[in-house]
Amino acid sequence: MAITATAPPAAGTGLKTRPEWLESAIGQGLALVLALVIALGLGSIIILLYGENPLDVYGSILRASTTDKDGPAWVLSAATPLIFSALAVSVCFKGGLFNIGVEGQYLVAMVTAAWAALHLGGLLPGPLLMWGVLLFGMLGGMAYAAVPGALKVKTGAHEVVTTIMMNGIAISLVAWALNNSLRYTNAPVGQNVDLRTNIFPANAKVPDLGHLFGYGPAPRLSWLFPLAVFAAAIVWFIVKRMRLGYEARAVGASAGSAQAGGIGIGSVQMKLFLISGALAGLVGMQQILVNNASTSTGGYLPQNYEATLGFTGIAVAFLGQNNPIGIVFAAIFWASLSRGESILPIETDMPREFVIILQGILIMSVVITYTLAKRRLERRQTGRVLAEEEIVAAQSAPALEGTTT
Amino acid sequence: MSKLGFAISIAFTYFTIIYLTGLGGLFSERSGIVNIGLEGLMIIGTVTGSFGAYYFGAKLGWGVPAGPLMGLLLGLACGAAFASIHALATVTFKIDHIVSGVVINLVAVGLARFLSTVFFGQATQSDPGQPHLHVISIPLLSSIPAFGRAFQGLSPFVLFPFLVVFPVWWILNRTRWGLRLRSAGENPEATRSLGVAVAPLRWEGVLISGAFAGLAGAFLSVEIVNNWREGQTLGLGFIALAALILSNWNPIRLMGAAFLFGFAQAIPLALRDWPVIRSIPEQFVNMTPYVVTIVVLAGFIGKVRPPAAAGKAYEGTTT
Repeated sequence: MAITATAPPAAGTGLKTRPEWLESAIGQGLALVLALVIALGLGSIIILLYGENPLDVYGSILRASTTDKDGPAWVLSAATPLIFSALAVSVCFKGGLFNIGVEGQYLVAMVTAAWAALHLGGLLPGPLLMWGVLLFGMLGGMAYAAVPGALKVKTGAHEVVTTIMMNGIAISLVAWALNNSLRYTNAPVGQNVDLRTNIFPANAKVPDLGHLFGYGPAPRLSWLFPLAVFAAAIVWFIVKRMRLGYEARAVGASAGSAQAGGIGIGSVQMKLFLISGALAGLVGMQQILVNNASTSTGGYLPQNYEATLGFTGIAVAFLGQNNPIGIVFAAIFWASLSRGESILPIETDMPREFVIILQGILIMSVVITYTLAKRRLERRQTGRVLAEEEIVAAQSAPALEGTTT
Repeated sequence: MSKLGFAISIAFTYFTIIYLTGLGGLFSERSGIVNIGLEGLMIIGTVTGSFGAYYFGAKLGWGVPAGPLMGLLLGLACGAAFASIHALATVTFKIDHIVSGVVINLVAVGLARFLSTVFFGQATQSDPGQPHLHVISIPLLSSIPAFGRAFQGLSPFVLFPFLVVFPVWWILNRTRWGLRLRSAGENPEATRSLGVAVAPLRWEGVLISGAFAGLAGAFLSVEIVNNWREGQTLGLGFIALAALILSNWNPIRLMGAAFLFGFAQAIPLALRDWPVIRSIPEQFVNMTPYVVTIVVLAGFIGKVRPPAAAGKAYEGTTT
């Protein structure tokens, strides 16, 4: 890499033996803190322009997600789809691929899952139906992710553009399904209802989790949250402990070197897209399989489904630095900020969109500070290697000089 | 037949948007910076352009030519200003170009909502009563029987691409600055060895891309829709990127590519009741622009050559 060629040997690093993982963790932590300071600082300026007190505004956001009634349950249930979405993005990113199509993949997955929920009831008894529905969601996401994957591998069409186009197609696919095969047929006679699917059988839904901790049904905290954490653990295992993870990182770092090392780039990229699609398939399950307290029915795919979770997942993946564990915390943090959206117009004079701006500044700062921290770390390590080489060179052949470039 | 004329007039409109945005991408990529944030830059152009036309045209009462023109100018300026974030990230901090572009797109959606609450007091659309330029009919062409519909009632701004295409080609191929810009995108090391700083050229490329994308966005909201609405860019920034690839990064060939994609946009809007199209479910007809983009991208990608150093950070001294 060109970085190593021009990096000055870091002065004073010497031969300190701090373990590499600790050094990188400290670097990332500092980068995160710096990004937070920048975001909160710029946010404070906007707040002051609105004539409000930054401490009050940030305090309101914090309170909404912690001490308010059901606050933590709201946050965790909102974080659930974001974890799946960000994991899907991060899996592809490990291999240097940008899956901007999580959006379309989860829309299509909601259709396949809804189909399974409505048609597989006779085949899968009891709670098996729920697992069948989740599986169909994952399969739908995989199938839809396979298209940009195959296009990338076979033709080299850049996945950013193809996945964005696939997102546009997915919106029409959902509309088509809701108008045809999944059309609401059980509507009471003479009643004009929104376009949506029939209500799923009870066995297809994911049970509530919040009541075990004394939360009400409104936040819809379900068993999908632990499932999302479990998915993060699986992704961690794949990336860190399996051959595919190693190959993905090799391809992501340098496709040329990976190929020279005997790694089949196409097959790795395809596998990453399929895993990513499977994870993306679970993003929409929170909204179609968990009881909706406001209508006290729940368990159907409506026309006005919540969109853009796939794009938010990209931001969460960046914030979590594409680390599965980091993503879980990043999703919870992101959801806490979003929880503040509803509180701001009530408790302060700030518009709810202020939170989106705050999140935007945060993500921009995080991307920059993380990269700078990573580069600094690489430079230090290079410097250390060079210093070691110098010592070795000095011991063996004192006359050799000027070899450090 | 008059339906086809109508379709072509819609295609012209989308051609203008795609061409100008693609031209923005061309300046950026020719300087060596991949700009996947064109969509986000357009979004900023739509909301600020709409505000400019509304504020100057309706609120201050500057009337018709001045109001919409101020809208277009404001969209252009704000697009360039927002692009400076991409330039800062990719040129100065050498962040991965795709990462920065994706973030630009994410941030733009939120920023547009925020600006909209500041401008119009609501997050997802602008106030009504926004003026636009008087529509024109192109002489001679518009009097062709049946087919003339294609050249009637157009915004005068659709002529703009035809005014800039040759100057842009000339600047890129015949001026010192243009040749230096392109060399920064092909071989930055060689550029520097000739004593020309790479970073300022790349900054300029990215700022120009923001200006064009912002202008295209403002054209959409000021001249076509006469209103700002959230999500109105509909992925056109990415389609412009595909058109840029199809054009082999050439401003003249970009005209053909942009018209092809513009026509794809017109099919679901104008040709829905044509014989074959009529029998296809509406939702599938709506997919046409996206499908065309994917097919073209997959079919042409191996036959074009992007600027050699596009997407790569230049690590040499920046001054």
